[in-house]
Amino acid sequence: MKRRNALKSLGLITGGLMLVPSCSFLDKRTPIVLNKLKISEEEEILLEEIIDTMLPETDTPGGVSLKIQNFVWVMLDDCSDTETQNTYLAGLRSFNTTVKENYGDDFTDLNAEEKLTVLKEMMQSESLNPQVLSFLHTTKNTAVWGYKNSEYYMTNLMPYKLIPGAFSYKSKTINPTDKININA
Amino acid sequence: MPNFNIDSTKNNTFDAIVIGSGMSGGWAAKEFTEKGLKTLVLERGRDVTHIKDYPTTNKMPWELKHANKTTFDAQKENPIAARCYNFMEDSQHFFTKDKEQPYIQEKPFDWIRGYQTGGKSLLWARQTQRISDYDFEGPARDGFAVDWPIRYKDLAPWYSYVEKFVGISGEYDGLDILPDGEFLKSMGLNPTEEYFKKVVAKKYNNQRHVIYGRCAHITENKEIFMKQGRAMCQTRDLCRRGCPFGGYFSSNASTIPWAQKTGNLTMKHNAVVHSIIYDDKQEKATGVVVIDANTKETTEYFAPVIFLNASAFNSNMILLNSKSNRFPNGLGNDNGLLGKYIAFHNYRVSMSAEYDGNLDITTEGRRPTSGYIPRFRNVEKQETNFLRGYAAGFGAYRQVIQHADGLGEELKQSLISPEYGNWRVGSHMMGETIPKEESTLSLDTEKTDQYGIPLLRINLDYDDNDEKMITDYVEQFTEMFEAAGFTNIKAHDVPDKAPGLDIHEMGGVRMGKDPKTSLLNKWNQLHACKNVYVTDGACMTSTATQNPSLTYMALTARACDHAIKESKKGVA
Repeated sequence: MKRRNALKSLGLITGGLMLVPSCSFLDKRTPIVLNKLKISEEEEILLEEIIDTMLPETDTPGGVSLKIQNFVWVMLDDCSDTETQNTYLAGLRSFNTTVKENYGDDFTDLNAEEKLTVLKEMMQSESLNPQVLSFLHTTKNTAVWGYKNSEYYMTNLMPYKLIPGAFSYKSKTINPTDKININA
Repeated sequence: MPNFNIDSTKNNTFDAIVIGSGMSGGWAAKEFTEKGLKTLVLERGRDVTHIKDYPTTNKMPWELKHANKTTFDAQKENPIAARCYNFMEDSQHFFTKDKEQPYIQEKPFDWIRGYQTGGKSLLWARQTQRISDYDFEGPARDGFAVDWPIRYKDLAPWYSYVEKFVGISGEYDGLDILPDGEFLKSMGLNPTEEYFKKVVAKKYNNQRHVIYGRCAHITENKEIFMKQGRAMCQTRDLCRRGCPFGGYFSSNASTIPWAQKTGNLTMKHNAVVHSIIYDDKQEKATGVVVIDANTKETTEYFAPVIFLNASAFNSNMILLNSKSNRFPNGLGNDNGLLGKYIAFHNYRVSMSAEYDGNLDITTEGRRPTSGYIPRFRNVEKQETNFLRGYAAGFGAYRQVIQHADGLGEELKQSLISPEYGNWRVGSHMMGETIPKEESTLSLDTEKTDQYGIPLLRINLDYDDNDEKMITDYVEQFTEMFEAAGFTNIKAHDVPDKAPGLDIHEMGGVRMGKDPKTSLLNKWNQLHACKNVYVTDGACMTSTATQNPSLTYMALTARACDHAIKESKKGVA
């Protein structure tokens, strides 16, 4: 993540000058407001990096610009039992150690391509710490859910009509070249 | 302060009192106010005004914080309500929370309630099938419960009367088992459903029918709907949120505003009815005792005629709690049968399968109804090892397989590359259950709720007849699905699923000819207290297989007509 590294070095300089070593200030982050979970800013950033890897920015918006990371946190916070939350956070908190053990670097220091390779390998690994594995799969599933429920996806990729109109229900012969709209 | 008391009694006196503003109470309100009766409707829940109080109705899916899932806390606090298929983030505010009204489950029973203007008419599945003489004659023919005091011909004109106002989308199928009604255009079966219809008709020599389920959706513009301020169904399929178009029937969209427009309606919300007052000297009911849900203050209201439409179990509760010298065991309960012969619809089992035909066809849009298969078992005569039978829902849709493969760009690509799969077909059983004396509602002798009203005890379970029916449904539908060449046929029985989620609980104040064996006469009047009418699910002598709301509405309109005629005679 060159951008982040660049920001970081910039931040260090600025922070040094202003004598405010606060990470949140440097990144101008507003921490997510959750009801139950207590998570650190580093954990928020880590999840964001993972989601950015799973659903990257391409010619269409990626997970991070659609704020899917917030959806993942909110669903974990509001819609999961304590055990699921604890398992998830334990997986998240073991993630960096696992990456470092296997790949020698912190996840955040890898470039985008490396991050993708690392996540793919980890999610297919049979010997991975089960909590980390479960954390990654839950993250992917919830992120996919949030992505498919996002305004962007439901407006631009698979348009949803709130008010289809009378007699919108029809059967039709499939034209194989037509794209399927799952929200049609 | 005698004058004050007289004034207060006068101010609290109406021509009619209706307890409950749901499916049937709304109809009583409409009928009475339209005929000029000053009518008080008592609703124990809050006000839900059409459109204004549908907070989620115009939300886009991404505007729901939890993608329409309810939170862990909401589920934990409401284990009963949360088991209802319709309890979602966008509809949970229309469900009564578990802690509002605890009850005692002698056997597990999920009691789903909706305390607000309109009651559960905001949440219903909107299926409106008429009951036929095969149902009305059932108890007498098969020797259970008691004979219904009415037949189809008694109710048919009232079905028509109600249907024209409600708006029913349907097809004229010409079936004795499921009489036709006043139908608006059909939204249609899809080609796979039509295919199944043909297969079934052929295999069973036109003795089994797959039809379009008649449903309370407006599909044609008519003056009567415009007068109600209701428009055609826009096929949003978001009915549980409340419909801003009034496309489906609810009391909120239809009967209650209609009654309000007459100027004769007084509605009291947060009005929990404690009991009905019986006057020993006048030998009739004179009013009701109401507890304000917020202040807990008690007020009495008076009227010469009282309609009890509190929902099946609550109507039982109110009568059981209405004790007087004349009726020490509950109002109208001379024979001790009040609260007995409770029944429900057996919705425990469903089926699924796939169909690999019609692969060049798909559907688009959303249809807020599906196919329906009327009862075909034991119709003309007893032919199985169980009594009665079942209707079934039936529907087919073209499966779209949604992929989420890989990570990164590959995943994003995968998420926009769905593929057609086979058709998926499904059915669910709607079984008639036998009302039995041991299936009871009663009031606890010690525990009370926050209003000081004794807790309801529910003692109801599946029986051997229900189990045999489930077995038969699975066998018959497997045979029918196989005949259609469906594959991957699976039955889904959930033996630990308690009764109740059908939300079709009925009985306890059943209609009958004989005051010794029933509570209500053929006009839904209590035999022993004729100015009290019960026209919700509590009045049902037997359950039939049909979704019952339409019948409650028709019975209510008919009973109102009777009450008005009686009042003109000066009897009531």
